[in-house]
Amino acid sequence: MESRSDETLDVTNPATAEVIARVPLSTAEEVAEAVNAAKEAFTTWRETPPYTRARYMFRLKNAMEEQFEELARSVVLEHGKIIDEARGEVRRAIENVEVACGIPTLMMGYNMEDAAAEIDEECWLQPLGVFCCVAPFNFPAMVPFWFMPYAVTCGDTYVVKPSEVCPISQNLLFELFDEIDMPPGVVNLVNGDKRAVDALLEHPDLRGLSFVGSTAVGRQLYAKAAANGKRAQIQAGAKNCLVVMPDAVLDSTVAAIMTSAFGTAGQRCLAGSLVLAVGEVYEPLRDKLVTVASKIKVGDGMDESVQMGPVASKKALSRVLSYIEKGLAEGATLLLDGRTTKVEGCPNGYFVGPTILDKVTPQMTVARDEIFGPVLGIIRVEDLAEAVEIINGSMYGNAASIFTTNGKWGREFKYRVKAGNLGINIGIAAPIASFPFSGMKDSFFGDLHGQGLDGIQFFTDRKVVISRWF
Amino acid sequence: MELATFGAILGFALDLEEQRASFYEASAQGDVPALFEELTRGARKRLARLERTRREGVAEMILEPISGLLADQYQPDVTPSGDQAGLLQQAIALEETVLRFYRQAADKMPVREVARTFSRFAEETERHLQDLQAHQS
Repeated sequence: MESRSDETLDVTNPATAEVIARVPLSTAEEVAEAVNAAKEAFTTWRETPPYTRARYMFRLKNAMEEQFEELARSVVLEHGKIIDEARGEVRRAIENVEVACGIPTLMMGYNMEDAAAEIDEECWLQPLGVFCCVAPFNFPAMVPFWFMPYAVTCGDTYVVKPSEVCPISQNLLFELFDEIDMPPGVVNLVNGDKRAVDALLEHPDLRGLSFVGSTAVGRQLYAKAAANGKRAQIQAGAKNCLVVMPDAVLDSTVAAIMTSAFGTAGQRCLAGSLVLAVGEVYEPLRDKLVTVASKIKVGDGMDESVQMGPVASKKALSRVLSYIEKGLAEGATLLLDGRTTKVEGCPNGYFVGPTILDKVTPQMTVARDEIFGPVLGIIRVEDLAEAVEIINGSMYGNAASIFTTNGKWGREFKYRVKAGNLGINIGIAAPIASFPFSGMKDSFFGDLHGQGLDGIQFFTDRKVVISRWF
Repeated sequence: MELATFGAILGFALDLEEQRASFYEASAQGDVPALFEELTRGARKRLARLERTRREGVAEMILEPISGLLADQYQPDVTPSGDQAGLLQQAIALEETVLRFYRQAADKMPVREVARTFSRFAEETERHLQDLQAHQS
């Protein structure tokens, strides 16, 4: 339904700075209506057999495949990432729907005969009610799909609040729910800002929240969810290190670092933003990183030949530029300067090219803060132990990768590093849909992560029935 | 222009097949219409297969840059001209270009499923070439 709000925000194409849509900021009243609709739908939806619920997901998958290019293009328009990255994002959203199609098996409980004399015991997984997702701007199509397909197939009902910066693709996806005849109220969408989030979390009938965004906001929402008695899974900020050992296969390593650091213009929580160059690999690695990064073609993500798009907003651009300045002020040296990048035909776009800072130290702001832009810092370390110490010294624990041909170093790394998503010769350690999207320390608040079996656990309660017949 | 991304390569393949389909459609006359009609249908099927491959083969984990594949090296003449013999000659040159593209793209493509699709297209194209050459002789 149309929002009655008279407040709107402009949605801009970051490649051109043109306004491409206006998003209404839903009122607290409208948010309450969405939760109420979800609560009302829950009664019959939770009684709908899992096989039937799964069939809606099969239909949704087909509808998403049919609209694949349109969805991917909407992501490029609202976010700025390149079309291949947008396709990858839509693909991952679909993969989550595919995993959720297995709900008839995934939410089976378990039982035991003769738990005691003539007593049987069983455990059922039951849906809880209304859940919501507060999504970030960086993966506007995909992130709600880390949660919603699992919630809905488990028998819960759902409210999505997309980012007000990038709401278009999620609105398109909700049109598909209409196309597949999803019963009214099972999935709901509200647009808006912090006020909409507050209204969701304060609603007495909301049972839980899934959030992806910054650590500062995530921490607040986690506290608020706990205070209001709601489940929460809060996937937060990151500062991910890429350790390069002296025996790494340099060409492949550099290629992987390029996508990790500069893919989606560095605006992902799995982006590698610090290279820890171990020993003698430092010099050849540094030179190769600069050579390859300087060849990355920056431009409008709609152009298939472009390898890196703009950052998502003017605010994001200012933030990235200020971090580069800060890095230089604190003593880092600039090997590659993306601040002067100009894109022909897009004079107003929010572009900053690949930037590489050398002589970074773990104490510098650029080594500690999440920049969320195409800025890669290089720290030279003596050995793996020092690299692990730097990673574990970070407040964040989202992801980390090692590049090596030595299995012992690989094992040492995965055993010692305190981060949730680890890569061995992988630049972006993104778990596929049937695995949890992990995270540790200040990168995650909660117990159960998004995706896979964690999702099933998060969206269900366990009821244990102990029975004896006289 | 270098085809340096997954999307650029798939986009180029789609353009190539679109051009093939148009060429054969416009050239289906004389003694070889059946073969040309078959090649038109084949190109249209490939378009659908390439669209599916592009949808399903992309994975953000492996969007690493690809190098060494230059679009300029695969630019066939697809404007039908001349008599039947000329069209056959043009078709052979077209298929030779397409064969070269799929072979080289299969070698460069880091996504195994997509590389396999390209290899299958290359094998099909080899058969098309044999059929065209048989008509020529």
